[in-house]
Amino acid sequence: MSSKRHSILPPAPAGSKPPIHFSSSITIADSALLTGTHPIAIHSESVVHPRARLDSLAGRITVGRRCVVHERASLGAVVGTSGRITEAAVTLGDYVIVEVGAAIEAGETVIGEGTVVGVGARVGAGAVVGKHCTLTPHTEIAAGEVVPDFTVVYSNGMRRTDKRGAAELRNKGLARQIDVLRRMIPSNPAKFA
Amino acid sequence: MAAPTPYTYIQCPCSDVSTLSHPSDPNSPTGTEADEDDRTFDPRAPRSNYSLYPLEYLLYCEDCHQIRCPRCVAEEIVTYYCPNCLFEVPSSNLKSEGNRCTRSCFQCPVCIGPLAVTSVETKPDPRLLAPDNIAAPHSGPYALTCSYCHWSSTEVGIQFEKPNSIHAQLAKLRNGGTTRLTAKERKERRRDPAHRSATTEGEESGEQEDLDLETQFANLKAFYQNQLADPNSADSGLAALGDLGFSSPTSLSRIMSIYTGGSLQDKKAKSRVGAMREALEPDEGLQVANLDESAAIEQLQSEGHDGTACTAQRVDQPPHLGEEHLHGRGRFTSELRPIPYLLRTKRSKRCPICRHIISKPEAKVQTTRFRIRLVAGSYIPSIAIRPLSLSNGGGSASGAAAVPGALLDPLRPTHYLLTFKNPIFETIKVTLGAPSKTPGRFASKVTVLCPDFEIDANTDVWDEALKEGGGGGGGGGERDRERERRRRKREEGSQSNNNHNQLEVGKIWERGRNWVSIVVEVVPASLRVEAGDGPLREDEDVLEIPMFVRVEWEGEAGGDEVGSVPTRDRDTREKRELAYWCVLGLGRIRQS
Ligand SMILES: [Zn+2]
Ligand SMILES: [Zn+2]
Ligand SMILES: [Zn+2]
Ligand SMILES: [Zn+2]
Repeated sequence: MSSKRHSILPPAPAGSKPPIHFSSSITIADSALLTGTHPIAIHSESVVHPRARLDSLAGRITVGRRCVVHERASLGAVVGTSGRITEAAVTLGDYVIVEVGAAIEAGETVIGEGTVVGVGARVGAGAVVGKHCTLTPHTEIAAGEVVPDFTVVYSNGMRRTDKRGAAELRNKGLARQIDVLRRMIPSNPAKFA
Repeated sequence: MAAPTPYTYIQCPCSDVSTLSHPSDPNSPTGTEADEDDRTFDPRAPRSNYSLYPLEYLLYCEDCHQIRCPRCVAEEIVTYYCPNCLFEVPSSNLKSEGNRCTRSCFQCPVCIGPLAVTSVETKPDPRLLAPDNIAAPHSGPYALTCSYCHWSSTEVGIQFEKPNSIHAQLAKLRNGGTTRLTAKERKERRRDPAHRSATTEGEESGEQEDLDLETQFANLKAFYQNQLADPNSADSGLAALGDLGFSSPTSLSRIMSIYTGGSLQDKKAKSRVGAMREALEPDEGLQVANLDESAAIEQLQSEGHDGTACTAQRVDQPPHLGEEHLHGRGRFTSELRPIPYLLRTKRSKRCPICRHIISKPEAKVQTTRFRIRLVAGSYIPSIAIRPLSLSNGGGSASGAAAVPGALLDPLRPTHYLLTFKNPIFETIKVTLGAPSKTPGRFASKVTVLCPDFEIDANTDVWDEALKEGGGGGGGGGERDRERERRRRKREEGSQSNNNHNQLEVGKIWERGRNWVSIVVEVVPASLRVEAGDGPLREDEDVLEIPMFVRVEWEGEAGGDEVGSVPTRDRDTREKRELAYWCVLGLGRIRQS
């Protein structure tokens, strides 16, 4: 994957840091990986776990408010021929959880508010996932696909609509989780400045 | 395509028709025996799919001295339990309550994930509470929710008042939350004149009461029982036809007695012949079929294929007596009900011939141990297959450097090392038989270089060490055997050391404490399809060698045989023999 990336795009000069726009209330682990040349914005109260990868080589990365990006999750990975540079590579709405090892590919990909991207799931370039969706572990969303609001993608691509109406409850739970994570993860935003 | 790693499957002798006839039967035709001996077991035959097992799947009967596979054991149920709550269900409950968990264990009807009971009301924000306040107790209503696909029982309009005994609560609820009446309640309702008038009024205004299955059956039953009790109610005009059709009380009472267990008085009914009228009102069990399916069509249009329940989901649905009438039921996922967990069983296994138990699990649900478990692996030798590369030494240059998992080159001799490991405490003599050509369209050549050898007993490793150290353990016979074994080892050792890596017919490759390795030479067939032949079928490129294994050993005689007088003489030894087919899967042949 990485070898392909270098063949298509100019390699980022070693040691260079992407321009960042961090809210003062975020929590970002020391060992998170931020690379690329375009700006990376993380809004208030979001948490970036250790070894999460945010790559802005193909465009701007925006993480909304109260999001959690887990370990080894990857935002803005450039895959194959889709390595064109766009205005916005990946945009996460508010209250989005990107679980361990999930990958969201670059190319104007949008994840709507309150959506959970499950463990090891993959969202293709240019896909638009609606609000309050649940992508269960190892789900694959094809490039350019549009997933409506409140969709649950489960069991090898089956779809159904979430009718619980528990979005409010979930957001409250996430806020509490973030409270705990803040105390657990030593934050070092200065490292990326 | 990745080649499979080498494997060994054993054919249980029960699948061989010739062994099914009683072994001591003198009338068994002996003329066919020669044919039987010549016949090669074909691992590709469709039947073989059902008789080949890995060694780990097989059991062994110590009394019959025979392999037993899952197909030839008699099973007995030890316990019934719920796989979710691990609660043991007494078999008496099973008859009255069915084979599903009657506690609060449910599966999601959409994705079969486990459902959890959750409170529907949102909890008060804990941050608003005073810090010394104890968390407010949960309050109803409750719903069953799936944490995987986010299905919730509120989708079908089902909520519960209490978080426990969900099964009992669910049985009283119909989809949409309306309660299902119990038989007693229904009876009371029917008697209640106020309700009666209410329903008739409703009918007058064009609203007909929908009957659920249970009510309809109860109404019909009551109606026909009334008819039977009162034969004069019949229209005499139909009496001529009465004796034959359903309108005859005699035939009807016969039908009813099939379902209700013969509580109706047959004799009384027989004496009265007369016709009966059919049910005309909902109270009598008449339910007019609802043929208007426009609502279903509309729903289909709006929800599409995703909104319909698949066959598996519908099959999983438990029968529910309180459900709607058969017309227009259960076609959408929005009508699916939670599935109570199906109970599972622990079973003991008996030999079908001598009735001895060969596997018996611990009765307690929580333990996974077995009281008795006679696995074949501790009675018959295991066979491990490893490709043999002969790159070094002056061995035959034909040996291909075989890598596990690599494709086999056609027409190129390849060698495999078969390691037989003896699990029993006696020396065993192994005789192998393999056809020189594998069966099937593409015949590969097979040569077993050493088809006849002995494997030493599986003695204790520490015994061995003590003996080596000069400790004179064991009886005279044992010492003799020990000496014999060492002598043989020396002989073979000197030979194999002289020409190491030399493939020699009749010589074993390597010998250990309780194992022996031998070499099999294989020349894989070319997979070129002749003109006019069909194309390569699925898995026809897999090289499988059928091999007949005969194991002979001397065991302690008597005692365990039924009817024999146990002799205290330990020296009486009896020759035992076990023979079976097995299949060695070596890998796939490269397609040119
Ligand atoms: Zn037996
Ligand atoms: Zn069998
Ligand atoms: Zn249970
Ligand atoms: Zn589910």
